Amino acid sequence: MWLLLIFVISITASLAADNNGFQNTVRPVIVKNCVACHNPSLTSGGVNLVPFTNGGTVVSERAAWEKILRKIESGEMPPKGVPRPDPAAVDALVHFLNAEFDKADRSLAPDPGRVTARRLNRTEYSNTIRDLLGIEFHADEDFPSDDLGEGFDNIADVLSISPLLMEKYVAAAERIAARAIGNVPLPKPVTASYDPKDHNLRRVDVDTIEAVHRIDFDGDYDVLIGLPGARSADSPPVRLAFWMDGKLLHQVTTETKPSNLVYFSPFSEEHFRLSLPEGEHTFRAGFLDDTFIKTLPEKDYYRSAKNKYPGTITITGPFASTAERTGRKQILVCDPQSGNDCVARIISTLARRAYRRPPTKAEVDALVRLSTTAKQQGEGVEEGIQLALEAMLVSPNFLFRIERDPSPTDVARVHRVDDFELATRLSYFLWSSMPDEELLRTAESGILHDPGTLDAQIKRMLADPRSAALAENFAGQWLEIRNLDSIKPDPDRFVRWGPELKTAMKTETLMFFSYVLQQNRPLSDFLDARYTFVNERLAKFYGIPGVTGPEFRRIELATDQRGGILTQASVLTVSSYPTRTSPTIRGKYLLNNILGTPPPPPPPDVPALDASKVGSEVSLRKQLEEHRNNAVCASCHSKMDVLGFGLENYNGIGKWRTVDGKFPIDSSGTLPGGKSFATPAELKQILAAQMPEFARCVTEKMMVYALGRGLQPYDGSTIRGIDERLQKDNYPFRNLIYEIVHSLPFQSRRGELVTSKPSAAAKETAKR
Amino acid sequence: MITRKALPRRTFLRGAGAAVAIPFLDSMVPAMASAASTPEKPIRMAFVYVPNGIDMRNWNPAYEGPLQQLPRILKPLEPFKQDFNLLGNLTHNAGRALLDGAGDHGRCCASYLTGIQPRKTMVDIKAGVSFDQVVANQVGAKTRFKSLEIGMEDSRQAGDCDSGYSCAYTNNLAWRSDTQPLPPILNPRALFERLFGADAGLTPEARKRRNVYRRSILDLVSADARNLASGLGPTDQHKLDEYLSSIREIELQIERTENDNTQVTPGMEKPYGIPADFAEHFKLMTNMITVAFQADLTRVVTFLVTHEGTSRAYREIGIPDGHHPLTHHRNQEALMEKVAQINTYHVVQFAGWIEKLKASKEGDSNLLDNSMIVYGAGLSDGNRHLHEDLPTLVAGRAGSYFKTGRRIVYRRETPMCNLFLTMMDRMGVHTEDFGDSTGPLEGLDLA
Repeated sequence: MWLLLIFVISITASLAADNNGFQNTVRPVIVKNCVACHNPSLTSGGVNLVPFTNGGTVVSERAAWEKILRKIESGEMPPKGVPRPDPAAVDALVHFLNAEFDKADRSLAPDPGRVTARRLNRTEYSNTIRDLLGIEFHADEDFPSDDLGEGFDNIADVLSISPLLMEKYVAAAERIAARAIGNVPLPKPVTASYDPKDHNLRRVDVDTIEAVHRIDFDGDYDVLIGLPGARSADSPPVRLAFWMDGKLLHQVTTETKPSNLVYFSPFSEEHFRLSLPEGEHTFRAGFLDDTFIKTLPEKDYYRSAKNKYPGTITITGPFASTAERTGRKQILVCDPQSGNDCVARIISTLARRAYRRPPTKAEVDALVRLSTTAKQQGEGVEEGIQLALEAMLVSPNFLFRIERDPSPTDVARVHRVDDFELATRLSYFLWSSMPDEELLRTAESGILHDPGTLDAQIKRMLADPRSAALAENFAGQWLEIRNLDSIKPDPDRFVRWGPELKTAMKTETLMFFSYVLQQNRPLSDFLDARYTFVNERLAKFYGIPGVTGPEFRRIELATDQRGGILTQASVLTVSSYPTRTSPTIRGKYLLNNILGTPPPPPPPDVPALDASKVGSEVSLRKQLEEHRNNAVCASCHSKMDVLGFGLENYNGIGKWRTVDGKFPIDSSGTLPGGKSFATPAELKQILAAQMPEFARCVTEKMMVYALGRGLQPYDGSTIRGIDERLQKDNYPFRNLIYEIVHSLPFQSRRGELVTSKPSAAAKETAKR
Repeated sequence: MITRKALPRRTFLRGAGAAVAIPFLDSMVPAMASAASTPEKPIRMAFVYVPNGIDMRNWNPAYEGPLQQLPRILKPLEPFKQDFNLLGNLTHNAGRALLDGAGDHGRCCASYLTGIQPRKTMVDIKAGVSFDQVVANQVGAKTRFKSLEIGMEDSRQAGDCDSGYSCAYTNNLAWRSDTQPLPPILNPRALFERLFGADAGLTPEARKRRNVYRRSILDLVSADARNLASGLGPTDQHKLDEYLSSIREIELQIERTENDNTQVTPGMEKPYGIPADFAEHFKLMTNMITVAFQADLTRVVTFLVTHEGTSRAYREIGIPDGHHPLTHHRNQEALMEKVAQINTYHVVQFAGWIEKLKASKEGDSNLLDNSMIVYGAGLSDGNRHLHEDLPTLVAGRAGSYFKTGRRIVYRRETPMCNLFLTMMDRMGVHTEDFGDSTGPLEGLDLA
């Protein structure tokens, strides 16, 4: 009885506290510190906060309140020069609002949201073809680019199909099916030569040459490496290696001393026959472990009397391949000549994998019927199977990831996705590719959604090399390092910039990301870590001694110049202009990708800096400070620029520096909240202390990537829940993957609201 | 009863050696057309779009009427002064903020040919059917390709594009439906294969067989899509509708190639890869479009040279700075100078194409005369993001219809869509209005 009474009292008390709490903690701050500028007549920054003096808005204007909360919490508002509420008042406000949000969330029915049917993007298409048929296909060479939404290229709503893409799908299906069955007639062999004289061969260094060549047909090719010059008579042989797209294909020992033959100019060659896949490839030939070259003065590098070096690449082909086709063997699970039963078996086996679920009888029947068209046209049974495969590759069942609802238009009807749909969600999340046999079987046995089984699968899949896709595709887009391929730093200003350095930068970040993931390191490693991954070229660039050779390795960092993604050259390069650093862009990068609080876009007629003056007439800092004298600019730039200036010790391609032109670098600053730093390392410490913001940002980004849709207000409780659990263990990164896979939106979906346009809610999030 | 058999125009191309030159012979005029008294001479239209506005001080001449001294950026077009009109004061109101806030780059590109203010979103994109597609839907049935979309710059691979506008708005010019942009072909090899076939070696029998196969496959997958769609929600159904309409497009293409099995000789070798050199890339792409126009493979082309907001540097002409940052020049002379140089460089490439079109004889005139090639941008002043007085140049006479060689300045705020209306009319598509049009543009025709 007593207990009940207390309970009743406390409920009434808490209900009353809602409004009282608002009146006591929030309203005074808003009235006293905000509405002087944010009122109906001034609407500074386009914001009017007068309606927000009413407690009811905490629930009705949730999204706006979240924004207000973040601004006040971070100290960004009120801006400098305007009276601030005292810290205790801010704390009370933050606590009150967070508690109110939580309460509101708990009373809401959980909503998993709904993902539109997703078309495979170019990466997913290529990977799926690789895993389905064992064929290397470069969709990015042939298909038009996929559009981005929310910063990622796997967002269902923006992945559309144009007639051009459909044309490419049809043509690609024909080609891929023919290649898989081994039914591509080879033309006469042709020869392609790459020679520095023809400007089609690049000298990477004295020991290495590189050429980009398109192989038009799967087949065997004769590769010939021309080796001009000769070394001294006592010089040892070297290992000549040949790579395709960074993969070592062949090695051979070759003599470097003069031959006894009399040549006008010394020359030798090595040739070998290799099986090469269709597509545009980067071929490289080079000497491995070449000790001789280290003793040779640079002026003698290309003197044929002093040195032997890789000089030309010649590729001749195609010739009929002797290599066994794994794809063909996989497809022909029985002898198709043996009759229709076998043809049906071959087709249904393929369809199960291509459609990522067991095909229906009607589907198999239709495909078998199609295969008989070949016979009517006077062709064989293999051509018939090829035809069925073509159809599968053009079918919406293959091109789209389609999920079914028991009642597609009932919003309230939440249901789990079935095990096949879950398997597909999982494999495209972790591998950017189709489920493998084990995952499909687990789905077939109906136990995949069982938490223990699911965890075992996640563990297995993360251990598989295919999980490198997470680094390539998630990290590549989250950290924007994919843009390394398109940006072009000015080679006159950045003489060390080049393809090798670029690749090394990218490799560092991808390996770092994978390490944090695989070792289940805390998320804070991204912001500051005492280790990284370098090869000789990158180590030299960073000024780290004692690293030799082209292969990457993990090293412990001795100084605090580097550590974590923010001081990696890749990130510092993609957040710069081609000619110089931009503290503003770097600041924006931090707000977008690290703190998850993107600044509002600038108004038009915003002047850029005078690039010619930077580092010469006035320092960049001085110029930007002038820019911030304008109050409108200052509201955002006071945060962006300060963050960016903290990284000014790294130039436009991330090289450490202490002067810019004639000005010494000053990388100190004070953030709007009052925290100060003097060096990049101190800035990183401040950021690392903002773990909750960073964790939320990473969780949101990865959630968008995993779901293929923008986040909605109803996803807030899922994200808060995940972050709370992560926080308990100091944010282990791998756990985040498990958390997302187990989350409501990843495992469930619901029907769609028919009357409203699908846009209204999405528009809200886009504006956040 | 019409019995006279017309000679397919492309007959001449069969077996023609290297370069293609197609004389426009009277015997090629279809019997049908001559009976109906107006021989059909195809008119082509193309849009060449450059981003980030143009330095208008060096684009707009101070006079009206016959073109005299050309402003600096247009100088490369001096030899073709009599072949184009320079239009002033055309405006795209739909590119303006109109309460949607920042994002002029995203907006001006998405509204450029659609005349519609795009929805501000990163996800569920929506603009409108672009007017080139309205034209393509009508005249496209007569050619192998309804339209061609080409470009030169790969889309951004990560990050956001413009202030809450999806990259779809800046990566595309043409829109097939309000949610379906048409991505441009960037790779010369891909364009070559699309135009002239990756399968040029197929025998007529093999080609025929392939078409039979393709049809059966398309039948099967259309059935798949219809079966699927029945149990899906509206947004998913919409995706499958897109799929189905693209399938229909391919079916129509097959139909067209069946009716006309001629092969076009491209007169050039198949290009490999994307040239690093801007001028070379531009030339390759436009050379192929010239052949496509000549052989009447298509009549509608949109060419998105580079993207709005692009930071491409022009080291080819000694400019290491990004294009977009330069255009926010704060009226500083040194920066504006670089912008003018980039603008001029683009026009040099464009002039090369105009020269090529003009040199391509067609009947007693030339390809340029029978075309409307618009060169323009979605912003005038890129520094201030202005959407009025858009730089607009219309080359060609649309088949002895336009009186060229003039600078025509319209009333301020004249809708750009009025030009579209006029162009649609010349393409044989008659409609009352498009976008915010108020009527066709006056004063372009010879009358």
